[in-house]
Amino acid sequence: MRKTRYVIAALAAGVIAAVAFAAVAGAQPAKTQATQLSGAGSSFVAPLIGQWINAYKDATITYNPVGSGAGITAISGRTVDFGATDAPPTVDQFTNCRGCVMVPWALSASAILYNLPGVKNNLHLTGSVIADMYLGKISKWNDAKIRKLNPGVNLPATDITPVYRSDGSGTTFNVTDFLSASSKTFSNQIGHNTAVDWPKGVGGRGSSGVSAILSRTPGAIGYADIAYALANKLQFAAVRNASGKFALPGLRGIKAAAQADKKFDSRNFLSIVNPPKGAKYAQAYPICTYTYVLIPAQSPKGNDLKAFITWAITDGQKLGVKLLFQPLPAYVVAHDKVVLKRVSST
Amino acid sequence: MTTAARTAPTGPAALQRRGRFRFGDALLYGLTLVAGFAAVVLLILITWKVLAGAKLSWQTFHLDFLTTTTWNPVTEVFGAGLFLFGTALTSIFALLVAGPIAIAIALFLTELAPPWIRAPVGALVEMLASVPSVVLGLWGILVMGPWVVSTLSPILSTLFGWTPFFDGEQTVGSSQLSAVLILTIMVVPIVSSICRELFTNVPTELKEGALALGATRWEMIRGVVFPYSRAGISAALILGLGRAVGEAIAVTQVIGAGTQISFNLFATGDTLASKIAASYNSAGTNLERSSLVYLGVLLLIFSLIVNVLAQLIVRRVARRQQGRT
Repeated sequence: MRKTRYVIAALAAGVIAAVAFAAVAGAQPAKTQATQLSGAGSSFVAPLIGQWINAYKDATITYNPVGSGAGITAISGRTVDFGATDAPPTVDQFTNCRGCVMVPWALSASAILYNLPGVKNNLHLTGSVIADMYLGKISKWNDAKIRKLNPGVNLPATDITPVYRSDGSGTTFNVTDFLSASSKTFSNQIGHNTAVDWPKGVGGRGSSGVSAILSRTPGAIGYADIAYALANKLQFAAVRNASGKFALPGLRGIKAAAQADKKFDSRNFLSIVNPPKGAKYAQAYPICTYTYVLIPAQSPKGNDLKAFITWAITDGQKLGVKLLFQPLPAYVVAHDKVVLKRVSST
Repeated sequence: MTTAARTAPTGPAALQRRGRFRFGDALLYGLTLVAGFAAVVLLILITWKVLAGAKLSWQTFHLDFLTTTTWNPVTEVFGAGLFLFGTALTSIFALLVAGPIAIAIALFLTELAPPWIRAPVGALVEMLASVPSVVLGLWGILVMGPWVVSTLSPILSTLFGWTPFFDGEQTVGSSQLSAVLILTIMVVPIVSSICRELFTNVPTELKEGALALGATRWEMIRGVVFPYSRAGISAALILGLGRAVGEAIAVTQVIGAGTQISFNLFATGDTLASKIAASYNSAGTNLERSSLVYLGVLLLIFSLIVNVLAQLIVRRVARRQQGRT
């Protein structure tokens, strides 16, 4: 017994010593050779950041695609060096981030996905029809309104199952923004936000959750970024823009839409959803979005962050083309560079 | 630490005089004291932090929060009604399914199975409890969901279609039923391992007595094993309920984040823990975040009640068994 006690006491003392040692070691800042930058947030921009990680040589970058809202939370808590979001932070979120700066750093589109085995890809849909599907007003795929948009397509009588994101998401923000612009009822009943109160349907967590439900549910309609839809070989719709053309979420449609709004708001947010009617926007895909990086104006790694973001919005843009990220327009790059002057190392 | 410092002899001389093992005793006393206090302090800190986090929501919604059934981040109207309902529905059904299965497993392993089967099967059942819940949830959405849609839901619909719980048919893998099944898988090992313990502790002379009087095995189980461990089984079920209520990740993956209250298990729904897991990280406003913490307070209160209940029952059993011997 005595021996056992002694052993226990020795073990306990050992544990304490180990903990104390770890605490002392942890208190000193870790010194590393290469600069490390960690980020979290938007899953929308994750494929592009993946390319940047491989190509950027001046720092080692890690990125965790936890979703836009979670990315804002992470940078507010300073658990990462940069956050990425597709939706503008709310007033609360911006305040909680304590002196953060936000700039657009990539440009792409959200796809409207569906699962109809045996039906062609790129069905024609309009914002008001999609809104009615989510509102439950159109409940079958062979509804007269859908048939009218797709003459000659044999649509099944399958029930429509709307699928949405259960977590807060920038993609939800952009899609509900477009649906609110297209349908008064949608705007009044649901509105637009990173998360909304959906009247019917099934929620999935993250783009992967949405696509897991969508791909196993014939008749489902959902949404995700176009890079994700292509990578997972999901069917997606051609959506009618204000000029009356059914546009695809391709580079041409995104480029046309990006001419829509040239005014940055106080947070440097640019809305290009549902561009107006006009020859300039004739090819525009109506659910395009800039996606943003959020960093503290003053931080220990400020200069490294500035260098990385400057590279990303210039040379880095070329890497996005094959993933359907349209390179940023020149005036956006110029604006970003002005804003980035406020960023520095402490 | 102060206690340890006061009672521990200092210096090598003191060590020699009193003997080394005494020093060990004092050290052990100090360490266990710190560990014990740390647990208490941690619990108090967590409770305080959670209550502080929920303050904003409490000031806005007060007790109306419990009965409001909307959760609308656009208009900033938040209520726990939907999640309280979903939590109650899924965990009660999970317990209804898991209870009999778990008791049957425990009976089989203690009374009926040949001895060489008991150890391996028992170990396997308990291993179920160690499957990470995120893996179980993934399996739920990829494998179990489609199976529920294609096979289970038509059967349940035919058999129980007349109840409000199995109305129509399930068309999507995510539903309250899928959540119930995942929770069942999580609850069974907990309840069955406690019941196994209970059944093994039924005095052999009572069991042999019943058999000697000509009782069949089932009569012996009904007349001796069950009455003897009745309270213990209730405690096991309540602990299982606690597990079902608190499970977050796996439920988030399969319940479908529904926004309407429905008794229909084929419909989607949501639970307290699942809502927190899905939305906390991405809450847009301070009020939404605070309301999610308010859901956490409700969860904390519930688990407190569950634990107190289970302990009361266990204490009652212990007292009764002392009285007998």
